[in-house]
Amino acid sequence: MSRIRATINSIRARLHHDEIAREVETELRFHIEMRTRANIEDGMNPDEAQRAALQSFGDFNNVKSACCEIRRSLPFNTSLLRMGLNITIAVLAGVAALWTVNTPHHNLPSLLSQLGFVAVLTCLFVVARRKQKPHRQ
Amino acid sequence: MAKSKAGLLQGTLDMLILKALSLGALHGYGVGQRIAQISGDALKIEEGSLYPGLYRLEQRGWVQSAWDVSDNNQKAKFYKLTRAGRKQLILEERNWERLAGATMKALRAS
Repeated sequence: MSRIRATINSIRARLHHDEIAREVETELRFHIEMRTRANIEDGMNPDEAQRAALQSFGDFNNVKSACCEIRRSLPFNTSLLRMGLNITIAVLAGVAALWTVNTPHHNLPSLLSQLGFVAVLTCLFVVARRKQKPHRQ
Repeated sequence: MAKSKAGLLQGTLDMLILKALSLGALHGYGVGQRIAQISGDALKIEEGSLYPGLYRLEQRGWVQSAWDVSDNNQKAKFYKLTRAGRKQLILEERNWERLAGATMKALRAS
Protein backbone atom coordinates (compact mmCIF):
# COMPACT_ATOMS: atom_id res chain seq x y z
CA MET A 1 0.00 0.00 0.00
CA SER A 2 1.42 3.40 -0.92
CA ARG A 3 2.26 5.86 1.81
CA ILE A 4 -0.39 8.28 0.51
CA ARG A 5 -3.13 5.63 0.62
CA ALA A 6 -2.03 4.51 4.08
CA THR A 7 -2.22 8.13 5.26
CA ILE A 8 -5.68 8.60 3.71
CA ASN A 9 -6.89 5.38 5.38
CA SER A 10 -5.46 6.43 8.71
CA ILE A 11 -7.19 9.85 8.52
CA ARG A 12 -10.46 8.20 7.50
CA ALA A 13 -10.17 5.71 10.35
CA ARG A 14 -9.80 8.56 12.84
CA LEU A 15 -12.61 10.62 11.29
CA HIS A 16 -15.08 7.77 10.88
CA HIS A 17 -14.20 5.68 13.93
CA ASP A 18 -17.60 6.03 15.60
CA GLU A 19 -19.54 5.86 12.37
CA ILE A 20 -17.88 2.56 11.41
CA ALA A 21 -18.51 1.09 14.87
CA ARG A 22 -22.17 2.16 14.65
CA GLU A 23 -22.61 0.64 11.20
CA VAL A 24 -21.01 -2.65 12.23
CA GLU A 25 -23.13 -2.81 15.35
CA THR A 26 -26.33 -2.14 13.36
CA GLU A 27 -25.43 -4.94 10.98
CA LEU A 28 -24.62 -7.45 13.71
CA ARG A 29 -27.73 -6.53 15.76
CA PHE A 30 -29.84 -7.09 12.65
CA HIS A 31 -28.43 -10.60 12.40
CA ILE A 32 -29.22 -11.40 16.03
CA GLU A 33 -32.72 -10.00 15.64
CA MET A 34 -33.36 -12.14 12.57
CA ARG A 35 -32.06 -15.24 14.35
CA THR A 36 -34.19 -14.44 17.42
CA ARG A 37 -37.31 -14.16 15.26
CA ALA A 38 -36.50 -17.47 13.58
CA ASN A 39 -36.05 -19.10 16.98
CA ILE A 40 -39.41 -17.72 18.14
CA GLU A 41 -41.02 -19.10 14.99
CA ASP A 42 -39.47 -22.46 15.89
CA GLY A 43 -41.34 -22.37 19.20
CA MET A 44 -38.93 -20.78 21.71
CA ASN A 45 -40.10 -18.09 24.10
CA PRO A 46 -38.58 -14.61 23.42
CA ASP A 47 -35.94 -14.74 26.18
CA GLU A 48 -34.84 -18.22 25.27
CA ALA A 49 -34.84 -17.26 21.57
CA GLN A 50 -32.56 -14.28 22.15
CA ARG A 51 -30.20 -16.25 24.38
CA ALA A 52 -29.92 -18.95 21.73
CA ALA A 53 -29.37 -16.32 19.03
CA LEU A 54 -26.52 -14.73 20.98
CA GLN A 55 -25.01 -18.13 21.65
CA SER A 56 -25.07 -19.22 18.02
CA PHE A 57 -23.59 -15.87 17.02
CA GLY A 58 -20.46 -16.28 19.16
CA ASP A 59 -18.55 -13.51 20.93
CA PHE A 60 -20.34 -10.33 19.81
CA ASN A 61 -17.63 -7.89 20.93
CA ASN A 62 -14.83 -9.91 19.33
CA VAL A 63 -16.72 -10.10 16.05
CA LYS A 64 -17.51 -6.39 16.21
CA SER A 65 -13.91 -5.33 16.81
CA ALA A 66 -12.61 -7.69 14.11
CA CYS A 67 -15.10 -6.20 11.64
CA CYS A 68 -14.28 -2.61 12.65
CA GLU A 69 -10.59 -3.26 12.20
CA ILE A 70 -11.04 -4.70 8.71
CA ARG A 71 -13.55 -1.99 7.78
CA ARG A 72 -11.11 0.76 8.75
CA SER A 73 -8.50 -0.65 6.44
CA LEU A 74 -10.84 -0.83 3.45
CA PRO A 75 -9.47 1.05 0.44
CA PHE A 76 -10.85 4.48 -0.40
CA ASN A 77 -14.55 4.22 -1.17
CA THR A 78 -15.12 5.06 -4.81
CA SER A 79 -18.88 5.62 -4.45
CA LEU A 80 -18.43 9.39 -4.18
CA LEU A 81 -16.36 9.41 -7.35
CA ARG A 82 -19.04 7.36 -9.08
CA MET A 83 -21.72 9.75 -7.86
CA GLY A 84 -19.66 12.65 -9.24
CA LEU A 85 -19.41 10.87 -12.57
CA ASN A 86 -23.17 10.28 -12.65
CA ILE A 87 -23.87 13.93 -11.93
CA THR A 88 -21.42 15.01 -14.62
CA ILE A 89 -23.10 12.72 -17.15
CA ALA A 90 -26.55 14.00 -16.15
CA VAL A 91 -25.42 17.64 -16.49
CA LEU A 92 -23.81 16.91 -19.86
CA ALA A 93 -27.03 15.23 -21.02
CA GLY A 94 -29.04 18.27 -19.88
CA VAL A 95 -26.70 20.72 -21.61
CA ALA A 96 -26.78 18.63 -24.77
CA ALA A 97 -30.59 18.57 -24.66
CA LEU A 98 -30.79 22.36 -24.20
CA TRP A 99 -28.26 22.91 -26.94
CA THR A 100 -30.28 20.69 -29.28
CA VAL A 101 -33.48 22.63 -28.61
CA ASN A 102 -31.93 26.09 -28.81
CA THR A 103 -29.65 25.68 -31.82
CA PRO A 104 -31.23 27.46 -34.84
CA HIS A 105 -31.24 26.11 -38.41
CA HIS A 106 -31.63 22.46 -37.57
CA ASN A 107 -31.49 19.93 -40.33
CA LEU A 108 -32.74 16.41 -39.88
CA PRO A 109 -29.40 14.50 -39.87
CA SER A 110 -27.77 16.82 -37.35
CA LEU A 111 -30.90 16.79 -35.17
CA LEU A 112 -30.90 12.97 -35.21
CA SER A 113 -27.21 12.78 -34.37
CA GLN A 114 -27.73 15.20 -31.47
CA LEU A 115 -30.69 13.18 -30.20
CA GLY A 116 -28.57 10.03 -30.50
CA PHE A 117 -25.86 11.69 -28.46
CA VAL A 118 -28.37 12.56 -25.72
CA ALA A 119 -29.77 8.99 -25.80
CA VAL A 120 -26.29 7.50 -25.39
CA LEU A 121 -25.57 9.78 -22.43
CA THR A 122 -28.90 8.87 -20.83
CA CYS A 123 -28.16 5.14 -21.26
CA LEU A 124 -24.74 5.61 -19.68
CA PHE A 125 -26.35 7.41 -16.75
CA VAL A 126 -28.92 4.64 -16.23
CA VAL A 127 -26.27 1.90 -16.46
CA ALA A 128 -24.02 3.73 -13.99
CA ARG A 129 -26.93 4.15 -11.55
CA ARG A 130 -27.92 0.47 -11.81
CA LYS A 131 -24.39 -0.69 -11.04
CA GLN A 132 -24.30 1.16 -7.74
CA LYS A 133 -26.74 -0.98 -5.79
CA PRO A 134 -26.71 -4.74 -5.31
CA HIS A 135 -29.78 -6.30 -6.93
CA ARG A 136 -31.65 -8.49 -4.48
CA GLN A 137 -33.36 -11.68 -5.48
CA MET B 1 -30.18 -40.12 12.53
CA ALA B 2 -28.56 -36.83 13.50
CA LYS B 3 -26.17 -35.41 10.95
CA SER B 4 -22.62 -34.85 12.10
CA LYS B 5 -21.62 -31.26 11.40
CA ALA B 6 -18.17 -30.36 10.14
CA GLY B 7 -16.29 -27.27 11.30
CA LEU B 8 -14.78 -24.94 8.72
CA LEU B 9 -11.38 -23.51 7.96
CA GLN B 10 -11.28 -19.79 7.16
CA GLY B 11 -10.47 -20.27 3.46
CA THR B 12 -13.34 -22.72 3.10
CA LEU B 13 -15.75 -20.30 4.76
CA ASP B 14 -14.67 -17.53 2.37
CA MET B 15 -15.30 -19.84 -0.57
CA LEU B 16 -18.75 -20.76 0.75
CA ILE B 17 -19.63 -17.09 1.22
CA LEU B 18 -18.63 -16.42 -2.39
CA LYS B 19 -20.71 -19.40 -3.49
CA ALA B 20 -23.75 -18.21 -1.50
CA LEU B 21 -23.47 -14.74 -3.03
CA SER B 22 -23.05 -16.14 -6.54
CA LEU B 23 -26.74 -17.02 -6.33
CA GLY B 24 -27.80 -13.40 -5.63
CA ALA B 25 -27.29 -10.44 -3.28
CA LEU B 26 -27.95 -11.17 0.39
CA HIS B 27 -27.52 -9.66 3.84
CA GLY B 28 -25.18 -11.40 6.29
CA TYR B 29 -27.95 -13.41 7.95
CA GLY B 30 -29.14 -14.50 4.50
CA VAL B 31 -25.62 -15.65 3.62
CA GLY B 32 -25.64 -17.95 6.67
CA GLN B 33 -29.06 -19.29 5.74
CA ARG B 34 -28.01 -19.85 2.14
CA ILE B 35 -24.88 -21.75 3.19
CA ALA B 36 -26.94 -23.94 5.51
CA GLN B 37 -29.40 -24.54 2.68
CA ILE B 38 -26.87 -25.43 -0.02
CA SER B 39 -24.84 -27.65 2.31
CA GLY B 40 -27.95 -29.54 3.42
CA ASP B 41 -27.42 -28.13 6.93
CA ALA B 42 -24.27 -30.24 7.27
CA LEU B 43 -21.75 -27.47 7.98
CA LYS B 44 -21.41 -25.90 11.39
CA ILE B 45 -20.66 -22.18 11.19
CA GLU B 46 -20.40 -19.89 14.17
CA GLU B 47 -22.67 -17.21 12.75
CA GLY B 48 -20.55 -14.28 13.90
CA SER B 49 -17.57 -15.55 11.92
CA LEU B 50 -19.44 -14.79 8.70
CA TYR B 51 -18.98 -11.06 9.19
CA PRO B 52 -15.17 -10.81 9.40
CA GLY B 53 -15.28 -13.14 6.37
CA LEU B 54 -17.61 -10.80 4.47
CA TYR B 55 -15.49 -7.77 5.41
CA ARG B 56 -12.29 -9.54 4.31
CA LEU B 57 -13.87 -10.39 0.97
CA GLU B 58 -14.98 -6.79 0.54
CA GLN B 59 -11.48 -5.61 1.36
CA ARG B 60 -10.14 -7.83 -1.43
CA GLY B 61 -12.71 -6.44 -3.85
CA TRP B 62 -14.53 -9.77 -4.26
CA VAL B 63 -17.82 -8.55 -2.80
CA GLN B 64 -19.37 -5.12 -2.48
CA SER B 65 -21.95 -3.95 -0.01
CA ALA B 66 -24.74 -1.37 0.19
CA TRP B 67 -27.35 -0.52 2.80
CA ASP B 68 -30.93 -1.24 1.82
CA VAL B 69 -34.21 -2.23 3.41
CA SER B 70 -34.85 -5.88 4.22
CA ASP B 71 -38.07 -7.79 3.59
CA ASN B 72 -39.24 -6.88 7.11
CA ASN B 73 -38.57 -3.16 6.47
CA GLN B 74 -35.39 -2.96 8.52
CA LYS B 75 -32.16 -1.30 7.50
CA ALA B 76 -29.76 -4.05 6.43
CA LYS B 77 -26.47 -4.29 4.62
CA PHE B 78 -26.62 -6.33 1.44
CA TYR B 79 -23.64 -7.95 -0.23
CA LYS B 80 -23.14 -8.91 -3.83
CA LEU B 81 -20.39 -10.63 -5.72
CA THR B 82 -18.16 -8.49 -7.94
CA ARG B 83 -16.76 -9.67 -11.26
CA ALA B 84 -13.41 -10.29 -9.52
CA GLY B 85 -15.26 -12.29 -6.84
CA ARG B 86 -16.90 -14.49 -9.47
CA LYS B 87 -13.50 -15.21 -11.02
CA GLN B 88 -12.07 -15.95 -7.58
CA LEU B 89 -14.89 -18.39 -6.86
CA ILE B 90 -14.13 -20.32 -10.05
CA LEU B 91 -10.46 -20.42 -9.07
CA GLU B 92 -11.22 -21.58 -5.53
CA GLU B 93 -13.61 -24.28 -6.75
CA ARG B 94 -10.88 -25.66 -9.01
CA ASN B 95 -8.31 -25.57 -6.19
CA TRP B 96 -10.75 -27.25 -3.84
CA GLU B 97 -11.48 -30.04 -6.31
CA ARG B 98 -7.77 -30.61 -6.83
CA LEU B 99 -7.11 -30.67 -3.07
CA ALA B 100 -10.08 -32.96 -2.35
CA GLY B 101 -8.97 -35.32 -5.12
CA ALA B 102 -5.40 -35.44 -3.82
CA THR B 103 -6.58 -36.02 -0.24
CA MET B 104 -8.88 -38.86 -1.31
CA LYS B 105 -6.02 -40.41 -3.27
CA ALA B 106 -3.77 -40.24 -0.22
CA LEU B 107 -6.42 -41.73 2.05
CA ARG B 108 -7.08 -44.65 -0.30
CA ALA B 109 -3.41 -45.50 -0.64
CA SER B 110 -2.60 -48.81 0.93
